[in-house]
Amino acid sequence: MYIPGEWHFCDDGTERPVIRGEILALTSTWEKTLFLVDTGADRTVLSADALAALGVPTLPPDQRLGGLGGVVDAVPVGTTIRLPDGQTGKVTFRGQFAAVADPDMLDMSVLGRDITGLFAVIVDRPGDVVCLVGQRHRYAIHTV
Amino acid sequence: MKDPECAIVVEEVTDPQELAAAQVQDERFERNVSWLREHAEEVYSHHRGKFICIAGGELFVADTPEEVLSLARRAHPEDNGRYLRYIPREKVARIYVHPRRVAFL
Repeated sequence: MYIPGEWHFCDDGTERPVIRGEILALTSTWEKTLFLVDTGADRTVLSADALAALGVPTLPPDQRLGGLGGVVDAVPVGTTIRLPDGQTGKVTFRGQFAAVADPDMLDMSVLGRDITGLFAVIVDRPGDVVCLVGQRHRYAIHTV
Repeated sequence: MKDPECAIVVEEVTDPQELAAAQVQDERFERNVSWLREHAEEVYSHHRGKFICIAGGELFVADTPEEVLSLARRAHPEDNGRYLRYIPREKVARIYVHPRRVAFL
């Protein structure tokens, strides 16, 4: 399995590693979003815009997420995330994720280790590569 | 206490119809992302602190994601490749939250 991403030009002029994906909404439609590939994030967290697009009723926060920006309330979201698969086309990840309703705390959804931990993660700016590699795919490091 | 780290179920999509529909959606999304790329400077400089949505190659702006989605869906109901996002208030270096469980209510 090979999940391709890209370096995405953001609003502050910085390029960040992202993967284009979709989240399954309450209406059974897929809503497009970008996921930041954050190798330090323990969990996958949806941003406020992604949460709104899902159309799910907002539950009271049941957990808190902490980072350098402090601690923020998060709501649980049971849904499916769909990512591109360079081999078969698409792959889905169904489970319980978290969402942050405050856009100033998280402006982009984050792909955390609950998903990235299933893969080797390549975030290579000089080589212009962002991808997750697993199962029948491998990567190799060569001396040139 | 709830366990948030429940198992993730991984499945490869093999349904040709779903894959074909996804490809169409991907192409629409790419068009909207490209539109923003071409208009980035203008959009980012005028709409900080707002939610934006690009659909059908048209920009929509609002204070909430629900509002901007409503505008975009009404104008371009056929475009399921909408590009919705929030423009942070400030251009600052970002250290994204490294989410870790600290407490459960």
